[in-house]
Amino acid sequence: MKSLFNQVSSYVTRLDGTKIKFILMIVTLALFVIGAGAPDSGGGFIGR
Amino acid sequence: MILLCAVIIGLAAGLLRAQIGKRSYRPLVVNQWWLVFLAVIPQLFAFSIPATQSHFNSFWARIILISSQLILLLFIWFNRHELPILIVGAGLMLNLLVIAVNGGWMPMSPETLLKLRPNLAGESIFSGVRVGFGKDFLMNPSATHLWLLSDIFVLPAWFPYRVAFSLGDALVALGMIGVLYTQGSEKKVKEGKNDIQPNIKLE
Repeated sequence: MKSLFNQVSSYVTRLDGTKIKFILMIVTLALFVIGAGAPDSGGGFIGR
Repeated sequence: MILLCAVIIGLAAGLLRAQIGKRSYRPLVVNQWWLVFLAVIPQLFAFSIPATQSHFNSFWARIILISSQLILLLFIWFNRHELPILIVGAGLMLNLLVIAVNGGWMPMSPETLLKLRPNLAGESIFSGVRVGFGKDFLMNPSATHLWLLSDIFVLPAWFPYRVAFSLGDALVALGMIGVLYTQGSEKKVKEGKNDIQPNIKLE
């Protein structure tokens, strides 16, 4: 677990501005489409 | 979650475009990105996370849906400088409009539900029922305001995932593909808050 934490923190400290912008863009846009869209698979419907 | 495919397709297309043009991909400068987190995190709790969605009653789920989409419109306003983002905004606006005039839910007809789940054919499907814990509500087309903007489209049968979507969803997906594809193009030389300035000095 500690090794994983070290790997992640090492990766994060090596991130430059462009990579941070890239990750922020992807996460923001992915969240946006989840929030803006309203598609439905109908899977939650329970027939009676 | 099917709309995440638009992000993946747009990103892949943009990266490929940048690769072919032998240039680096330009991440979009996202203004006021925190608005998206503010808007969507409550939605995730109310609609997506099984452990929490049952704690939100119908009233609060509708309040969260409409208020979060209004915040997302504000986000579009702060990032309105490119055409694909305006297309995304148009899709969001259509979804918000049909949701707002139908009591805070995205309408879906019982016929559309049967297309998604043919196994329900023998059962009685009544309108006036929420579809699980999602954003959709079963409504007869005759009782639906702006029916054309509701979830009336269904992906073709050969597609492995069955889902109903609206015109607004389609515009959000197309616009998002455009947003991410555009970032693989050459740097623009325009004055503007969002535009990357050229690395040249004008005497």
